[in-house]
Amino acid sequence: MSTTRTIRFTLNGRAVAADVAAGETIVDMLTLRFDLKGARESCGQGLCGCCTVTVDGMAVSGCLSMAWFLDGTSVETIEGIGTGGALDPVQEAFIEAGAFQCGFCTPGFIMMVRQLLDAHPDPDDEEVRHYLTGNLCRCSAYPEILTAVKLAAAKRKKLAA
Amino acid sequence: MASFELIEPQSVEEALVALDSDDPAVRPMGGGTALMLMMKAQLFAPTRLVSLRGIGGGFSGFSLSGDGETFCIGAMTTFSELEQSVEIARHLPVITQTMKTLANVRVRNVATVGGNLAHGDPHLDLPPVWTTLGARVRIIGQSGERVIPVEELFVGYYETSLEPGELIAQVLVPVRPDWRSFYAKVTTRAEHDWPALGLAVSVLPEGERIADVSIVLSAAVDRPTRLVNAENVLRGSVLCDEVLTRAGEAAVAETDIETDNRGSSAYKKQLLRVHLGRAIRKVMGA
Repeated sequence: MSTTRTIRFTLNGRAVAADVAAGETIVDMLTLRFDLKGARESCGQGLCGCCTVTVDGMAVSGCLSMAWFLDGTSVETIEGIGTGGALDPVQEAFIEAGAFQCGFCTPGFIMMVRQLLDAHPDPDDEEVRHYLTGNLCRCSAYPEILTAVKLAAAKRKKLAA
Repeated sequence: MASFELIEPQSVEEALVALDSDDPAVRPMGGGTALMLMMKAQLFAPTRLVSLRGIGGGFSGFSLSGDGETFCIGAMTTFSELEQSVEIARHLPVITQTMKTLANVRVRNVATVGGNLAHGDPHLDLPPVWTTLGARVRIIGQSGERVIPVEELFVGYYETSLEPGELIAQVLVPVRPDWRSFYAKVTTRAEHDWPALGLAVSVLPEGERIADVSIVLSAAVDRPTRLVNAENVLRGSVLCDEVLTRAGEAAVAETDIETDNRGSSAYKKQLLRVHLGRAIRKVMGA
């Protein structure tokens, strides 16, 4: 009976293994087995984006995805972004724009904005609104988030130049 | 969540064997989004899930048939794969259009074409669109395979005509360059919310005249439903206000729309009258 299995995968650049049960979510596994609490379960239905992580570079809802299928993949969470102690440009932009109040949704927003800027390096307002429709901020910092996205896009362009 | 068995077969044959059970809590799994929601809500407790992500064959990928007349879409194709495909945008632009307001990026990255159909949820956006496009599904089971129109897949609220152990393998969509299609997702709260009604329309225009038409209503009814009487009003007619009004009345008369938390019956009937007219005008380019 295959009700549990050992998965081996890369977590924020580090090779790791975990014994997981069928049905165990990625967000539960990160919290309980790796003490990573940046991806949080909020709505629990894939609507709010607080649990966003990337699997092989693709954003998924950690609350709806089974850890079981992570075997052989590379997973990145909010704790893994930025380089050598420096913040990621999207993190910097959120701070500079004051794009949060309580901060609960912020890790999910930052993970999704990174995806957004990979797909649309210079997004217009419509593209930002459409792409981030699955991220909810109950403090309603949306205008500041929009500003942060534009700022992050500019920062990225500068870094690439 | 109670303990259950998770199996990852590497071929269709292995999958069919793993699904061969009298236990209704043995189920196939595509992307798993809808199943996880039902499991977390304790509406469904599986004893065994059979993941289809490793079975390959015609279940993954999509391509135009050799004769160029049919788009064959593997059941395990994700919505993001369709959304980002240049080929889909060229041959089935209504699919690209529908993706814009379907759930969100993370769900589209995971949800599959086959799982979406097999779920049988009448509020989903793609089933009415496949239906208006005249798509068929290829179904594989222990006793062989069969091909049926998408509309015959749905027999009621969350109820399909799939037999236990049968799998949706492919969606076969006719390429009809002369037809134009549109999906109106009519929501009463946020734009990306579940629809109060979904309206998928296709027309074959001949100047101002509607040579042929297909109208499918979803969300407000228990399954994606062809609005045959409304189609009959429009078919052969020249587009004008009077014809659209009559089509709207026919649509309302032939459907059984009930009140729910997205609107009263009367309100949704009015939405149907208005949005049917707008959708037909849109596809007729008027």
